[in-house]
Amino acid sequence: MASSEGAPIEGKEWTLDPETEYRFELDPGTSLAVKLVRGHAEVFGAELAAQKPYLFGSECKAAIFTWRGCTIEVTGQPSTEYVSEETPMAAYANLHIAFEQMRVRSLRDLRGSPVPDYERDKPIDPPRVLVLGPENSGKTTICKLLINYAVRAGQGWSPLLINTDPAEGGWAAPGALSVAPVRTPLPTCSPGSPLGAAATSAPTALSSNALIPLAYWYGHAETKRNPLLIERIIRNLGENINDKYQVDLQGRTAGLIVDTPSSFASGSGNSDERQRLIKACVDAFKINVILVVGHEKLNVEMQRTYARQLTVVKIPKSGGVVELDHLYRERVHNYQLHSYFYGQIIPPPAGISSALLGGETLSDLVLSPSSTVINFGDLSIFRIGAETMAPSSALPIGAARAVSETQAVPIDPAMPGSGLLNAVLAVLALPVNTDESERYDEEILDLPISGFIVVTNLDIPHRKMTILAPNQGSVVGRTAVIGSFEWSE
Amino acid sequence: MYPQHQQYGPPPISHQPAYGGYSYYQQPPPPPPVYNPDPVTFRRDYSNQLAELKVNSRPIIQNLSMIAQDFARFSDIVAQCLESHIRRVPQWMKLPAFYLLDAISKNVYEPYARSFAAFVVPLFLETYGQVDENTRSKMEEMLITWRTGSPTRKELFGNPAQAAIERGVWGDGAASASTNSFYSGSGQITKTQVLSELEFTLNQKERAVQANPYDTTSQNHINILMQLRKLVEAGVSQDELQQILAQLRSLVRSAPPAPPPPPAPVATPVAWPAPQPSYPVQAAFPPPAPLYPFPTTYNTVKTETAPSVLPSTSAASGSSAQSSLLSLLSTLKKAGMVSENGTPQGAGTSTEDVSKLEPPPPDLERESSRTYRDAILTHDVKLTSTDISRKRPDLVEFLYDRLAAQCKQCGIRFPDTVFGKKRMEDHLDMHFKQNRKANQNIGRGHSRSWFVGVEDWVHDVSVDVKGKGRADGVRPINAKAAAAAEVAKRDADLRAQFIVVPPGEEAKPVACPICKESFKSEWVEDVEDWVWRNAVLKDDRVYHATCHAEAANGLAQRLRSELASLRSHTSTPEAVGASRTVVTPPPSGLKNSDALRSVSLSPSPESKLVGTKRKVDDTDCSVSAEAEGTPRVKKLALELPQ
Repeated sequence: MASSEGAPIEGKEWTLDPETEYRFELDPGTSLAVKLVRGHAEVFGAELAAQKPYLFGSECKAAIFTWRGCTIEVTGQPSTEYVSEETPMAAYANLHIAFEQMRVRSLRDLRGSPVPDYERDKPIDPPRVLVLGPENSGKTTICKLLINYAVRAGQGWSPLLINTDPAEGGWAAPGALSVAPVRTPLPTCSPGSPLGAAATSAPTALSSNALIPLAYWYGHAETKRNPLLIERIIRNLGENINDKYQVDLQGRTAGLIVDTPSSFASGSGNSDERQRLIKACVDAFKINVILVVGHEKLNVEMQRTYARQLTVVKIPKSGGVVELDHLYRERVHNYQLHSYFYGQIIPPPAGISSALLGGETLSDLVLSPSSTVINFGDLSIFRIGAETMAPSSALPIGAARAVSETQAVPIDPAMPGSGLLNAVLAVLALPVNTDESERYDEEILDLPISGFIVVTNLDIPHRKMTILAPNQGSVVGRTAVIGSFEWSE
Repeated sequence: MYPQHQQYGPPPISHQPAYGGYSYYQQPPPPPPVYNPDPVTFRRDYSNQLAELKVNSRPIIQNLSMIAQDFARFSDIVAQCLESHIRRVPQWMKLPAFYLLDAISKNVYEPYARSFAAFVVPLFLETYGQVDENTRSKMEEMLITWRTGSPTRKELFGNPAQAAIERGVWGDGAASASTNSFYSGSGQITKTQVLSELEFTLNQKERAVQANPYDTTSQNHINILMQLRKLVEAGVSQDELQQILAQLRSLVRSAPPAPPPPPAPVATPVAWPAPQPSYPVQAAFPPPAPLYPFPTTYNTVKTETAPSVLPSTSAASGSSAQSSLLSLLSTLKKAGMVSENGTPQGAGTSTEDVSKLEPPPPDLERESSRTYRDAILTHDVKLTSTDISRKRPDLVEFLYDRLAAQCKQCGIRFPDTVFGKKRMEDHLDMHFKQNRKANQNIGRGHSRSWFVGVEDWVHDVSVDVKGKGRADGVRPINAKAAAAAEVAKRDADLRAQFIVVPPGEEAKPVACPICKESFKSEWVEDVEDWVWRNAVLKDDRVYHATCHAEAANGLAQRLRSELASLRSHTSTPEAVGASRTVVTPPPSGLKNSDALRSVSLSPSPESKLVGTKRKVDDTDCSVSAEAEGTPRVKKLALELPQ
């Protein structure tokens, strides 16, 4: 890729001292290109190649960190930019080394290599880490960073990254909980794909832009909406991961890292529910380390509950974390869905003609979804639980719900007020058991997601609807589940 | 000594392709199998069967390779199962699985050699990096047979793959020497390589002699080869190594192509060691064999392939190869490299020498992970809030200094070791291919793929579409793996996305039987063929991959329950074989007393079964005899170089 130099608009050079970082925030519709001129630099653990402009967009807020000093050239107009000398990176690097020690011990044990005497009492479990923290504490970034350092170690680790924050959506779309093995550093370029991208038919240079996630549909941004369902999904993910580990013993030694929603840390919901969900994660993923990001009270609480069975460590929060408001999160959901269907499209800032976007050349990440008209009968659509639902605890004593939280209610697209127009639907994988006797009522809750579609038009008189699907694969005969997300272009 | 009756060894060089040794391929097709699985069931059953392949058991290998032959339509599944099996199992289980790969490729060849070629390079080298010295030499032996393993006596997996593996195993000299011509050797040749090729040739000869004690040519070859081995071990110059290598290869090459299949297939496995003189093998070796004169009557190497051919045929190539070997030897001797009275040893004792033979080639991957482990563990980091806030500036070396080689394209780093450099090379190749592919793809729409199901996600190895995980070099890979990874990538794409339109049917409208929509054929540059996108071929019908997946799920369930009601052990490994009969081919290279011993092991009524059929249960019992009954001996024998 020959980048054409000599553009009329000059970038601005920043020289960073060792262990400092250049932080920036972008406004909607703007983009930024960062080129490493000298030295070493990384974005949340993913190292930048020298002399390649890296693009950022979609209101990306990120930091270029350097361990040993560097010079970068920045083109574009960030709304905020500054250099910070206070970063928690040293602590994160220590964490990384501690986890690497767990990994190499685990691998040594698997290979049956001799263990020196002084090592005999050391644990042989790989790191299985749960990251907890309040809103805007940088949990996802820490997860990404720790994963990136692990895959950078040159040891062929492919740790699992698990996203249990339905507002985030991981590699799928907001509303999903998912897990994927990671083998190359996760790039940062847009909050639309914070953790790399799921596989497409396009050739990509980095496997982190072609991840193979396993995703389940929760359907809402808030965990308190249906904690029973989210707990069930966590347990399902745990079982799937267990199965994978049975198959891939060496993969197991790389461990896993679990990102969580802030609702796990601080209670807008009731504390019991929170504890239940944390417990579900600890059990399902066999957590042996809990990292609490900058939250003293939660740290104490976790110490009290779990110190006997696992290690709880309070870790510093980065000062670079930006307070995000509700509207920003809404926009991020849009970016995510847009990237899911259309790929990552960020127009480079003036003066940059070719650049890397998430480690790929620009054109590689453009996708063409497929819009098709289907009959109402072609797709069975359900909602899990009632449309609006107070938590069980809020019901009058002795009162029972008309619809339980885990009941699948069929939706008739022909009914006015079905809520289907512009709704994001998760198309579920086909059940493995088509034998009627082995089917069960709540099976729909245990099926992973095949993909997402959006209903873009409803033609009730002709009983037809137009859907936007990620590819040309047919969805006829499939089951789809609605949530509370809507999207229109 | 050559192995035990129930073991599989890679067939000797002239035995390889389907026209050679295994009589079951000449059998009339077996009665229509009751077993008619869908891909999902087949995958499960085949991997279950595969899981049984823990020791070098010929019956299991044969059974598995016959299933592979019968279900060639599932060749991709077989390939995936086998690849993931080899990657997954502990190192002591890897060799038998490679023998299976070897057997399927050589005997069924199409379409398997092609499927396997997609991953054989990284798989072989990765495994080679993990196994012990003994297994390595077995793998090297197998590798050499792959040079001429195709039915046309070409490289079994194609020239590039062969060259890549040889380069990975023996270094650069090997590859350049084996590209196109085995005779011209340029580049460095290592002692190890020459020794292992010597070993291989010696093996061939010893087998020939075992098969036919009259084969004095082979005996002479053995003597010369052993002296050569001593010389090489003592150390000779690069030139001499090269000459020796060239001679060795010409000696192996001079083996005429295997004879056409015998008109009447050999009847039963027990009958196999064809009528032979009953001379004890040892006695056939003349005591200290003379270097001269040339044997006046000698057999060609052909005798190793067809022991029933009487030792009267001759081949000029054999003699010329021998004479040049001899002259080479005498040149070396004149140069004072070896004393004239360095008397060769009898073949019987040769095996003991061999065990001390090869210097262990460094196990690069393990070595590098050991070094890394030691380095990581020297740091004392406790998982407490206070301890992790301590500054440890030297940790940064793990991110940079220990990974000195960096990809200029994407910034990914590799250790600055031989191992790391290889991986970086692969990584760069991957970039190159990917860029080329991206350029070809301009204007063609891409789209987000559906997510995989639980089953595929759990068995990620096969789902790792496009071989990316491996290709971008973060997983351990050796040598020129990227080329193969690219093939794998394409292969995986094919599997996931489209199928090649059968020649001549480009214009024919073909509709998916499920959704009735017709396929549009499309020229795909990478594949160099017309393809149908989102299509799978099942039982000679083309379905939309997505439609079929739906249907298959239902079918799988139905089949499973049907089978379950028919027989109690559907999903057990025996099921596949038990519902049909299994033919045991004659042992390939084993005609020694061990092979005869198998007679007593299999109950005699079995040998009266039609043709060479044996029930799988019997093979099973001999397997278990192998696995449990005589483990120590077997294991010992396994470990002895052959």
